[in-house]
Amino acid sequence: MTGEQTGGQMREGSDFERRTRAVLLDSAERLPGSVRSRLTQARHAALAARASGEWSSSRARRWVPAGALASVIVALFVALTPHGATTPARVAQASASLEDIDMLNDADGISLNGDQDVDFDFYEWAADEASNGSASMGS
Amino acid sequence: MSSFATLTLRTNDLAPGGKSQLRETTQDGTRALEAFLIDVERKAFRIAQLALSHEADALDVVQDAMLQLSTRYATRPAEEWKPLFYRILQNRIRDVQRRRTVRNRVIALMPWRQSDEESEPDPIALAVDGGPTPPVQLEGDEIMQALEQALKELPGRQREAFLLRNFEGLNVAETAAAMKCSQGSVKTHYFRALQSLRAKLGEFRS
Repeated sequence: MTGEQTGGQMREGSDFERRTRAVLLDSAERLPGSVRSRLTQARHAALAARASGEWSSSRARRWVPAGALASVIVALFVALTPHGATTPARVAQASASLEDIDMLNDADGISLNGDQDVDFDFYEWAADEASNGSASMGS
Repeated sequence: MSSFATLTLRTNDLAPGGKSQLRETTQDGTRALEAFLIDVERKAFRIAQLALSHEADALDVVQDAMLQLSTRYATRPAEEWKPLFYRILQNRIRDVQRRRTVRNRVIALMPWRQSDEESEPDPIALAVDGGPTPPVQLEGDEIMQALEQALKELPGRQREAFLLRNFEGLNVAETAAAMKCSQGSVKTHYFRALQSLRAKLGEFRS
């Protein structure tokens, strides 16, 4: 293959590329009006989205220092509030709770399960005895 | 002068017109972006249309790409916009193609739907084009149709490389960035695309 041939092929290739490019560019220029309109709308929507994004990000940037300051104040408030302080009321409340637990655990304590453990026969006998006693005393 | 003093001096210089300067910069950025979108939108639409063979889908992907570029990458240097924009566009095109593949597989499982789809004529294909007069346009249309057909028959990556290099005018490095591949691959794809097109459109050269 000679240099001229190679050069010729390259030039031919370049012509081919140039022509295809021209045809494609021409087809892009001759797009229907409806398509051009939709593309314009899409472009405007994209630019509007960018503008709104910038606005919200600039607002966010403006509120960042205020938010940080508020967080610091809240953190300080939480840290400095005497949550762990032992006031007399808190001590009484805590000891009362412990007493309740002791009572619940105590087997000798009062019955908390209704009438299940009540000896009704004893009370009937005692009532009979009392009535008999009063009757004998009266007679 | 100490660095702190220099900084204070600079800050004082900027302070009076700071907001207006920022606004002007933003407006300049918006104008530059608008000019860029105007420059690429039609070519991007044609590239999407050639890849998808569907006008509405092509418009959707172009719109998506514009939106993505504007909202996420507009702060990047303007030189990077073109490769970025076309990368987004190619990703969207691939998304649509994947969705179509899945849809077609599902439709293939439902034979009664196939007949419905085939019976519906494409309204876009039937639409009347209000272009230039027929005698002047005929040759151009025939060439365009032949080229379009040849481009559609190319493998996706070859078509992509050819359109980005030849139609959009990206250089090899920009095309590689847009296609997310090496520059060597771009050259290979482009060369093969050119060979195929030459083989199919032999008469086109004369």
